[in-house]
Amino acid sequence: MMKPRSLSLLSFPLLLLPLFAPTAAALEPAKLQITPSTVELGTFYGGARMHVAGMAGAGCKIIVVVRGPSATEVFNKLGRVGPIWVNTGKVTISAAPSLLLIFSSEPVNTFLISAAIDQYQLDLGSLKKHMLIETKAPDRDRVADDFLAFKAHQGTYGIIPRSVQMTVPDQGGLPFSVDFEMPRAATPGKYQVSVLECRNGEVTTKSDVDLEVVEIGFPALIARLAKERASLYGIISIIIAMVAGFGIDFLVFHIFRRKVAAH
Amino acid sequence: MWILLPVAGMSIRLPVLVGVGALVGFLSGMFGVSGGFLLTPILMMIGIPPTVAAASDSCQIVAGSSSGAAAHFRLGNVDVKIGSVLLLGGLAGAAVGVRIIKVLRALGSADFAITLTYVVVLGTIGGYMFFESLQNLRRGALVPKSRRGPAEQGLLSRLPLQMNFPLSQVRHSVFVPFVLGGIVGILAAIMGVGGGFIMLPMMVYLLRMPMHKAVGTSLFQILFTSAGVTFLQATTNHTVDLMLAILLAAGSTIGAQIGARVSRQLRGDQLKILLATVVLVVMVKMALGLLMTPSLQITPAGGH
Repeated sequence: MMKPRSLSLLSFPLLLLPLFAPTAAALEPAKLQITPSTVELGTFYGGARMHVAGMAGAGCKIIVVVRGPSATEVFNKLGRVGPIWVNTGKVTISAAPSLLLIFSSEPVNTFLISAAIDQYQLDLGSLKKHMLIETKAPDRDRVADDFLAFKAHQGTYGIIPRSVQMTVPDQGGLPFSVDFEMPRAATPGKYQVSVLECRNGEVTTKSDVDLEVVEIGFPALIARLAKERASLYGIISIIIAMVAGFGIDFLVFHIFRRKVAAH
Repeated sequence: MWILLPVAGMSIRLPVLVGVGALVGFLSGMFGVSGGFLLTPILMMIGIPPTVAAASDSCQIVAGSSSGAAAHFRLGNVDVKIGSVLLLGGLAGAAVGVRIIKVLRALGSADFAITLTYVVVLGTIGGYMFFESLQNLRRGALVPKSRRGPAEQGLLSRLPLQMNFPLSQVRHSVFVPFVLGGIVGILAAIMGVGGGFIMLPMMVYLLRMPMHKAVGTSLFQILFTSAGVTFLQATTNHTVDLMLAILLAAGSTIGAQIGARVSRQLRGDQLKILLATVVLVVMVKMALGLLMTPSLQITPAGGH
């Protein structure tokens, strides 16, 4: 989705660069390994330590992108009515990933041209351009900024420069790695981990690996029951709550009665 | 230790959830309120989506109120007779309230109406209870207050189907608790809460029930209404997070037991002034939330 750019004599040599620079098709994709390859959301899930490692071509800059599936999210829009703030309508945001973490060896804008940043959505500005916002509110830009701030606060959006570790190149290429914490708010789904090798302001190679985030055990059972057997789930919830309430009352009553009897 | 909430789709620290549950359960057991007006905003503050917070809250209220109601029942504080009439009125009122909300939503002014109702109702009830209890405490409320007899209640005493409620030592037409229950049901449906904090002052000031009987009876009624709401939320919105509800309930059931015991050590007016303070603090917090410019002008949709 490159935008047409005005050409000038000064920019002419840049047009020749791709002829000499390796392209995404010409280069071997980076060898990539992600550990663990599946994130299991069990009862005590509180985030997961992730390790991405690979081998890239010598002399390149590296960007690692973790992207969740696109989701449609609905928000209330707050507006001022007289002196007070109330909900004034709904905002629906789609075509935005549920999770987006961007790690790079250096700040992305120091080694990539803006067209490439925009194409691969590697900064907040390019994310704002690509997301679809349905709202009657006139200040769409403010809505987009607030959405990004909300996701950052939630821990699901983050741009972390200088987080990709690169070691000394050897004969096999340039070893790189990044360690990060999978957010606590990660939802189940098929995620994609991409490694972008960048040279001369462009992305020359892109390698993708799938990352599964799955619910297991008791949380998986609850989530399935809540969706598929709603009536049964409702009744079970009430029974468990009542048993817990009366059970605690029974226990406390007998403990206190014994204490009173002992005195 | 972190715990995954599968319906909310996020992880929360275990002690935070149990602690929040215990605090709200303590208030529930002490004052006979469900605590929903307090718990839902707290859950939203710690990042739980509003719809999940409201629905799971009603599920944990089932646990907290059954624990509190059982403790009060043993203490002889649950008036099942008047509680049943209030419950029937409350269910009828809730059905009307849901209709009103639908109309307001269609007109686009539901949120404004809900928020304003909250501030006005909380402010009126909290303010009245606070100053009335303060006056009684200053006068020295050790002397039991005389409750007005049916002859002094004017028009109300002439209504048909007069009935004795011996446990609460009051006599009313069956229509009085039914209509009061209905009014509370309407307000509770509009505000999206159990309604205990509205019901309790109504029981004390309008039905003239003794404070401790009102607390136990209110919990008895809340148990049934919150069970109904939990079922509806589970089947229509799929937003009841059982894991969240269980952990909140673990705290709230213990808190409710302690609250019920602490309430026995306090006089009615002392209980009232404490409840009034809690209600007024929530009202002030909501009023500030209405007036102060929010840092983000979008909030996750759902709930109120």
